Amino acid sequence: MRVVIVGAGGLGGPIALALARAPVELTIVDPDRVELSNLHRQVQFSDADVGAAKATRLAARVGGVGIVGRWTAPDQALAGDLIVDASDDPATKFAIADHAVATRRPYVIASALRYGGNVMVGAPGAACYRCLFEDVPDEVPSCAAAGVLGPVVGVIGGLAAALALRLVANDRRDAGSIYVVDDARVDHAPRVVRFARRAGCTCRSS
Amino acid sequence: MATVRVPTALRTFTAGASDVDVTGATVRDVLAELDGKHPGIAAKILDGSGAVRPFIRIYVGPDDIGSLAGLDTPVAARDEISIIPAIAGG
Repeated sequence: MRVVIVGAGGLGGPIALALARAPVELTIVDPDRVELSNLHRQVQFSDADVGAAKATRLAARVGGVGIVGRWTAPDQALAGDLIVDASDDPATKFAIADHAVATRRPYVIASALRYGGNVMVGAPGAACYRCLFEDVPDEVPSCAAAGVLGPVVGVIGGLAAALALRLVANDRRDAGSIYVVDDARVDHAPRVVRFARRAGCTCRSS
Repeated sequence: MATVRVPTALRTFTAGASDVDVTGATVRDVLAELDGKHPGIAAKILDGSGAVRPFIRIYVGPDDIGSLAGLDTPVAARDEISIIPAIAGG
């Protein structure tokens, strides 16, 4: 199975490291280069990596293929059998979910901010990311703007990797669920919310 | 008394508090009460017409209010109201 991880930063790092020894082929996509301000939470990189492309550096660590650029839906090289979103861009998250629904692929959408985060799991026939959040937010803080506690991305990234591995094993029990960690400093288990397909959602016509 | 679980993205309004105790009888009442205690927070959850913004989901216990009575969903003592926004950080 080919797994595409979109984002090689705070979440993409722990996800890729956790999947590195799984029976999958990893492709890692990210347009950015390592910055000094990333290092407190992107522990897959060292000072020597500052200025290097994140995708190729992380791919080299985990034996995968690194693609320096943005994920784009029509590019088959970036499709994969399973897509794991670890990006910091809301439009990318929705585009990945839409593409996965349209092409009937399983997917994982991971997000982290400040002290918490969430991981949504999707698969054909189950409620989708748009059933949960209907449209791209018009204002949403990013890690760069609002910050994220370093260990939080390890917690959320590890959770995303564990849920991705279930999909790799064709275990789809989590499809249509979101795992929520409100505050990783005090929450030692995620809250799991299973949600239903939303009437009128675009996934109903796919 | 019910409890609102405030997502991290909105805790700037609650001085960092993750939980806020409320007594409102419906989700609409609860949000008004929440805004009374922490002015400005409701505008991040509801749009100008008073509807829940499309990138935010509200749950009473395990149930999405969208599948219940929306903002008129009843809230009982000891209920947990979860506000889950789309977040983008990676």
